Parts: sequence; C-alpha cells; structure tokens
Amino acid sequence: MNLTDWLIAALRVLVPVLAIMLVLPIPMWLERRGAGLIQDRPGPNRVGPFGLLQPVADAVKFFMKEDLIPSNTDRFLFVLAPAIALFSALTTFAVIPYGPAVTIDGREFPLVGADVSIGILYLFALTSLSVYGIVLAGWSSNNKFSLIGGIRSSAQIISYELAMTTAAAGVILAAGSFRLTEVVSMQTGTWLGFIPRWNVFPQFLGFVVFYVATFAETNRVPFDLPEAEAELVGGYHTEYSAFKFAMFFMAEYVNMIVVSALTVTLFFGGWSLPGYEPQGWVGVIVSALVFFAKTAIFVWIFIWVRWTLPRFRYDQLMRLGWKALLPIALLNLLWVAFLVLKGWLP
Amino acid sequence: MTATRLVFDAAAALAILFACVMVVHRNPVKSVLALVVSFFALAVAYVLLAAPLIAAIQVIVYAGAILVLFLFVLMLLNVPEEGRQGSSRPIHQVLSGAAILVFGAALLALLRSHGATRAEPAAFSAAGPSDVATTSRLLFSEHLLSFEALSVLLLAALVGAFALARREDQA
Repeated sequence: MNLTDWLIAALRVLVPVLAIMLVLPIPMWLERRGAGLIQDRPGPNRVGPFGLLQPVADAVKFFMKEDLIPSNTDRFLFVLAPAIALFSALTTFAVIPYGPAVTIDGREFPLVGADVSIGILYLFALTSLSVYGIVLAGWSSNNKFSLIGGIRSSAQIISYELAMTTAAAGVILAAGSFRLTEVVSMQTGTWLGFIPRWNVFPQFLGFVVFYVATFAETNRVPFDLPEAEAELVGGYHTEYSAFKFAMFFMAEYVNMIVVSALTVTLFFGGWSLPGYEPQGWVGVIVSALVFFAKTAIFVWIFIWVRWTLPRFRYDQLMRLGWKALLPIALLNLLWVAFLVLKGWLP
Repeated sequence: MTATRLVFDAAAALAILFACVMVVHRNPVKSVLALVVSFFALAVAYVLLAAPLIAAIQVIVYAGAILVLFLFVLMLLNVPEEGRQGSSRPIHQVLSGAAILVFGAALLALLRSHGATRAEPAAFSAAGPSDVATTSRLLFSEHLLSFEALSVLLLAALVGAFALARREDQA
C-alpha cells in the first residue's frame, strides 16, 4: 500500500465518524427549538443567533460538572456502560453509503465507510449490542429505578428488534443482497417515468413497521419507557452526571441520526435523486446533500413525534410489538416474496 | 506469522480466557458479560476465517439476543452472588481431579494430531464459502433435512417450556 491508499483508507474510516460528530449539535438544537415551536414558546434564544450555540454551551457545562460515582455501585461497569452505548452508536454508521462511487487514480471507491457483504447484518449486530450499555447502566447503578429502566429497555429492544429485522428482510429480499450500496443502486430510476423506484412504494407496510420499531429501538417517545421520568426519575441514567450522562445523551442523538439514515437507505433510495445522474465531484456533493436532506427530514419527524404524542403504557407497548407489528412485518415479507416470484421486483 | 494470524490468536486466547472467567466468576451477571466478550472474540475469529455471515449471526443471535435474555432473567430475579461452598467430600475432589486430567489428555491428543501444524488456515487468504448466497443454497439443498429437523426441535423445546411453565389451574 502506498501513501494514497493509506490516505483513502484513513478518510473512509474517519469521514463517517467525524461527519456524525459534526452534525450532532444540529438535532440537539433542533429538538429544543422544535419543542419551543410546538409548545408556543421561544426555546433557547440567548446563546448565539437563534440560540444556535446552545449545544456548545451545554457541552461546556457537562465538562465543568462534578463527575459523581455513587457509593455501592459497580464502578467498573458503571464507567463502562456509557462507553458501550456511545461506541455501538458511533460505529453503526460505517456501513451506510452516503454518496455514489468516487474515481481516484482510475479506481472506484464507493462513498461508504466499509462496503462489506453483510452490511445490514453488521448494523443489526451493533444495534443489538447497544442494549448492553443501557442494561449495564441500570444494573451497576444499584438503584431500583435504574434497574427497572434497564430491564424495560432490554425487553423492549428484543421485542422490537424482531419486527424491525423482519421488515428489513423485505428490502433484502427485493435487493437480493445484504450490501447496502446495492440496496441503494436498486432504488435508482423510476416506474412509469415519474414514481421513484423507492422501496417505500411496494413495501409500504414494511416501512411503517420498520419506522415504528426504530422509535422503540432508540428509546424515544412514545416508547421511552426505560427513562419514563414521571415514574422512574430518569430510568437507567438516574445516577449518571457530568460527561458520563452526556455520553448517553449523545448516544441517543447518534442513534436517532443512524436509524434515520438507515430508513432513508432502505426505503427512500439513499443518496439517489430520481431523474438525476450524479457526475464528477459536483454529483458527489449533490448526492451527499440529498442524503443529508432526506435524513434530516426523518430526524425532524423524531422530534415532532416526541413533542406531540404521549407515552405508551408498558403493556400497550408489548402488545403493539408482538401482536401488531410482527404479524404485519411477516405479511409484508410474504407480499415481497410474491412480487419477487412474479418478477415485478426489483 | 502474519498480522492476521496474530489477531486470530489474540481473539482465540480472549475467547478461551473469558470462557474460563464465565465459569469461575461468582457473580452471575459478570459471568454473562464474560460470555458476551467470549462470543465477540469468537465472532472476530470467524471474520478472520472468511466467514463474515457466521460472525454477524453469532453476534446478533448469541451476544445480541440470547445473552440479553439471560441478563434480563438474572436481573429480574435478582440472583445473588454464589457463596463459597463448604469443603466438599474427598470423593468429589478425586473425581473432579480425574475429570480434569482426562479432559486435558484428550485436548493434548487432539492438539497433537490436528493443531500442532504451524500452517495458516486456508481461509485466511482465499475467499471461502462465506458468500451469503452459497451458504443459503447449501442450507436449502444439501442440509435441508437437518435444517428443518432443527427448527422442529426448537419448536418442540418452545412448546415444552410453555407446557412446563403453565400452571395447572389455568388449563
């Protein structure tokens, strides 16, 4: 490997992580301003224009706070838990393609951290590990509220993971590949000249199940039972303070961005724009911006839903997951199998 | 000894080490966590043996689902740490010593016949039968019967567990 190869390899590893860290303050700001908008109040508006520097002020505050580890906790696991949560959130983005292939020195490089053959399985593997961060935080805190939060989270994530992967299986079946770059490339072009060939149209049920399940997987309202503040104080992060709390906080927003990007990739054509053929560096930049815009829409829906809907009860959550979403996801899988068998897909 | 081989050996050593931690640790929650690390190291070994599909399934199914369920049950029941048991009877000590000796001898014999060669496993370099399509084709043609038999076995276990857990008065 010469210097260019090393440079390209380093860029491919660093760009997804750095990009996500750079855009991370945007949803945090959007959440608070959006909450203000929906609740008919200004929201943060003192730090910088439109309160844009509020996330920076928050970060500084988290650094300045006292880092407290309560007595009678399991110190090792207590410190490890937020690290697992943030690690599994940050590494998931590596397999999501964010642009078309770039040609450097006559070789093509797809714009994705790692174009692995098991792309989507890798993603599900890491998201299923993210539950350990929450469960261990709950257990090691030695606090009954934290423990209940951790237990709820593990039950919830296992239940909804099933529906989520079954819904995603429809996309895999249609694409004939686990590789996310191929999932995107099968969705380019149009049907009848004006309908984009996005998976959301033939697999609308699959999309609905998948999107509802992502709310449960990220512990967001209306499925934020693990941290239900009215009954559990703060749930699994009750005992956390300072930067360890900030790590859970960041992990939640990173997860939000990642599942939004995944929804876009699986059901809304990823970086592709119908009727636009990306060419050269301009094409790369336009495609990356298209991807960013599509993802931003879904991140906004996360925020919109949080400040609009009330929280579910726990039995309602379980009933929805097992008795509604899972059968619908299986139905969707049958439907896609029928379409593929008939040769109408892709 | 290539870098791949080094990583493979490290992953294998980690898997064995944490499997031992799982057995000897007195805290059941820590035991489960040791098993998670062990399974993860095993997944790394699978990747290096050019079987990324098996590696991903290993992490999703075992580390991501089954062990989370273990953890869930342990936390729900709040299982306490095992206390140190009183001195066991001499016959127990003799028997366990003999078991360790037999197992060690068997392991040594196995290593001498198979593992003693220093050659690299073939899959390190070549792309083995790891492709998803190849695996599924094998699963649904050559191994179809055993595959289906396994799913029936799992179903039977599920029904059995349900029958055992159900209380008589609810029948």
